[in-house]
Amino acid sequence: MSEKSAARILDVGVTRGAEYVDVRFESARSERIEVRNGVVAALADAVSTGYGVRALVDGAWGFAASDDHSDAGLVAAAERACAIARAGASIARRRVGNPPPVPYVGEYATPVLREPSSVPLGERVALLLDAERRLRAGAQIAVGRAWIDLWDSRKTLYGSNGTRITQRIVQSGCGVQAMAVDAGDAQTRTYPGDIGLYQSGGWEIIEKAALCDNAQRIGEEAVGLLRAPQCPSGTLDVVLGGSQVSLQIHESCGHPAELDRVMGWEANFSGTSFLEVDQLDRLQYGSPLVTIVIDNTMSLGMATCGYDDEGTKSGLSDIVRDGILVGYEMSNDTAREIGRESNACVRAQSWSFAPMIRMCNLNLLPGDVPFENIFDDVRDGIYMESNRSWSIDDRRLNFQFGCEIGWEIKNGKRGRMLKNPTYAGMTPRFWNSCDAIADARSWFAWGTPHCGKGEPMQVGRTTQAAAPARFRNVTVGVGYDE
Amino acid sequence: MARAILERSPADQTEVLVAQSDAALTRFTHEVTNQNVAARGVEISVRAILDGQTGVASSNSVDDNDLRALVERAVAIARLAPKDPLQPPLPVGKTAPAPPNAYVDATAQASPERRAAICGALFDAAEHAECWCAGYASTSSSGYTVANSNGALASFDGTDAAVNVKMIGADSSGWAEAHATDVECIDARTIAARAVDKSLRSAAPHSVEPGAWSVILEPAAFGELLAYLAGHFSAQSYDEGSSFCSDGLERRYFGENVSIFDDYAHPLAPGMPFDFEGFPTQRLALVENGIVRNVVTDSYYAHKLEVENTGHALPAPNSYGPQPLHLVVAPGTASLDELIANTERGLLVTRFWYIRTVDQKQAIVTGMTRDGTFLIERGRIAGGVRNLRFNQSILEALRSCEFSSEPRRTAGYGFSTVVPAVKIEGFTFTSATEF
Repeated sequence: MSEKSAARILDVGVTRGAEYVDVRFESARSERIEVRNGVVAALADAVSTGYGVRALVDGAWGFAASDDHSDAGLVAAAERACAIARAGASIARRRVGNPPPVPYVGEYATPVLREPSSVPLGERVALLLDAERRLRAGAQIAVGRAWIDLWDSRKTLYGSNGTRITQRIVQSGCGVQAMAVDAGDAQTRTYPGDIGLYQSGGWEIIEKAALCDNAQRIGEEAVGLLRAPQCPSGTLDVVLGGSQVSLQIHESCGHPAELDRVMGWEANFSGTSFLEVDQLDRLQYGSPLVTIVIDNTMSLGMATCGYDDEGTKSGLSDIVRDGILVGYEMSNDTAREIGRESNACVRAQSWSFAPMIRMCNLNLLPGDVPFENIFDDVRDGIYMESNRSWSIDDRRLNFQFGCEIGWEIKNGKRGRMLKNPTYAGMTPRFWNSCDAIADARSWFAWGTPHCGKGEPMQVGRTTQAAAPARFRNVTVGVGYDE
Repeated sequence: MARAILERSPADQTEVLVAQSDAALTRFTHEVTNQNVAARGVEISVRAILDGQTGVASSNSVDDNDLRALVERAVAIARLAPKDPLQPPLPVGKTAPAPPNAYVDATAQASPERRAAICGALFDAAEHAECWCAGYASTSSSGYTVANSNGALASFDGTDAAVNVKMIGADSSGWAEAHATDVECIDARTIAARAVDKSLRSAAPHSVEPGAWSVILEPAAFGELLAYLAGHFSAQSYDEGSSFCSDGLERRYFGENVSIFDDYAHPLAPGMPFDFEGFPTQRLALVENGIVRNVVTDSYYAHKLEVENTGHALPAPNSYGPQPLHLVVAPGTASLDELIANTERGLLVTRFWYIRTVDQKQAIVTGMTRDGTFLIERGRIAGGVRNLRFNQSILEALRSCEFSSEPRRTAGYGFSTVVPAVKIEGFTFTSATEF
């Protein structure tokens, strides 16, 4: 979008009575390749270009998105955003919207070692066909899948306060999955993690995943799970693999620490939060080993950028420090409500969505236990890897998660494979039972490409970097304990 | 546009999907709007097939040069794809007309002020009841055209309006929803009253012990549960062995009173009469009197399994297989009030939250109750109870159940169903919350 078009929108908005207007222009390209059972089930390339206008009128926000780039289209979108804001203001019992406190001018681009576009499409497809073929460890493999996702977004935010920010965000991901089936049972294994490897960067992310080197093992594990004994039910110690710790952070810290949830902005859908404002700087969220931080500047993070979609500069901030709740993920408006400043946690899925608080890079800092020693003083426990099922209540307290695979731990040693491992608990009690976190050598930036929130529902991309961790006296085997 | 794209494609076969939408939603909390949005746009998707090689490209530009480039991109991708020996010809069929009232102009033209008026009525109800509320009012229109080089051409316009509100008291909440194609059928005051009533009646909730309970699931709860069974009726899941019915159709899996259909033309949820390949969608019995009769197919799985194409394709590229998007459960004869009156001790559930599959083949799912869970004693609502987590096989739940006589449309992200309330014996709750 030319500066002239942006200026036209901002001018129309201000003329129609908006106290602040911004427009975010975005052109996004996405590519999905998926091989399923030896056949290319998806080979798709999508381009989407448009803009979203945000107008603040009488303390209420209105948002209108359009892909009509004509002058009439620009004017109509700006007028629509103002009309929507005005309609909202007419029924609002109080003012909640405020202009951004500081204008920013800047640029950011994801560091890319190898541009995905430089890799011939035939090479990308061949990689997946090879990886998927290697999953076939036995006749019981009913479904083999291998996939690559590539995203490249270029966006510019113009604000009526002088903000002008241009960014290019590149993210890549891939994975393999095998489903083994026999009479009465279906077992799935996925690599890497539970949804694949998703990080910011280019083709180097796909190369790092080493799909072909791991596919055969994954297929063998899926077949092995059909014969494996059922995970027992009871109260045992649990060690979670890094990707499962990542999921645990995401669901039981990342979402409840979103300040819009805390303030009831998601009450009818995603829910509220047990991390209420009066608990700030007081709540013993976890054991003293647990420190969880926002870092939207880290390399490889799916939420890494220079500025968020309100125009706030990315940085670092603490959510849980030495086990105590000390912060939230915030926007300009929500931070103002508790006397703080935004920590740049606002994102929009694309040009057609309004920006809102989204979980960003929210990481559990590593501990000091080498992974090979984390089982040492577990007398009777379960080691679980790769999430299969996740459910948590609408205040983010009562959770139940299931993993694809588990192993018995007896007297400090990892033993036989177990199928259908599940565990359940209450969030603070669970995190307070954490007595070991593996060290930085096992710490990994686990990314998620499809976190849902908001109405209309938006899909966000986020990272929860984590290392394996140990938890004591956990309820396991839920759902299979009749 | 679709015809022009077909004419300029050099592929053996070409399919064009043009999807346009104009959707607006006013979301609110604490009696102010917090997401007040609208978006309009179009997406053009081209599937090119050359001797079994398939490529798909999409764009939202209607510029003539961009459309030309779009076709070239789809063809270039197809040339690099391996051949799929099972790829059938693109299907052609005579589509039925859209069901009555699928498109209502008043909904398509609804203004921000119209949505604000709905929200304002909800705010008034909340203030009157000394609650606060959160929810949304939405209106949208959408249009789909599918055409292919073998002669298929189908178009559909639809509208949707919805209200969803949660009324929140000191220690309780109540929730209600409404969906219609005509915004004039949305009665905000009735919805508000229902949510307020639930919130007030569930105040000062008591704890109950987890375990096996007689439960009555209102339509919103049952509809969301049923959505987790939908994928089992896909020919892909059936064929690959991950469906509960992969062992065979024409077998009894449910109680004799259970009949489940896929029906795009149900009057409460009139939808598109063709699938995303432009092939006519059948109004199909999936389960009749407890016996699984059919799974849904698209052209690919009809060809692979040598069965009829039921017209349930998703947009290409589709690795999920065909899906039933309009599940309908046949109602029973007793009213919801009668189901409650006939329950000695049980729980009434308004709504579930965060249901996820625990075990695929046994269709075991877990999830939480929320926003209005009640204890029933001696046929009467005895008061609110704190929320509970369940772990339950949907198959087992529907082996011994009784449906109410009042079907209702309920919808969430990724599903829309028309279902009655259902009473289930021995529904398994595994833990409780403190709220």
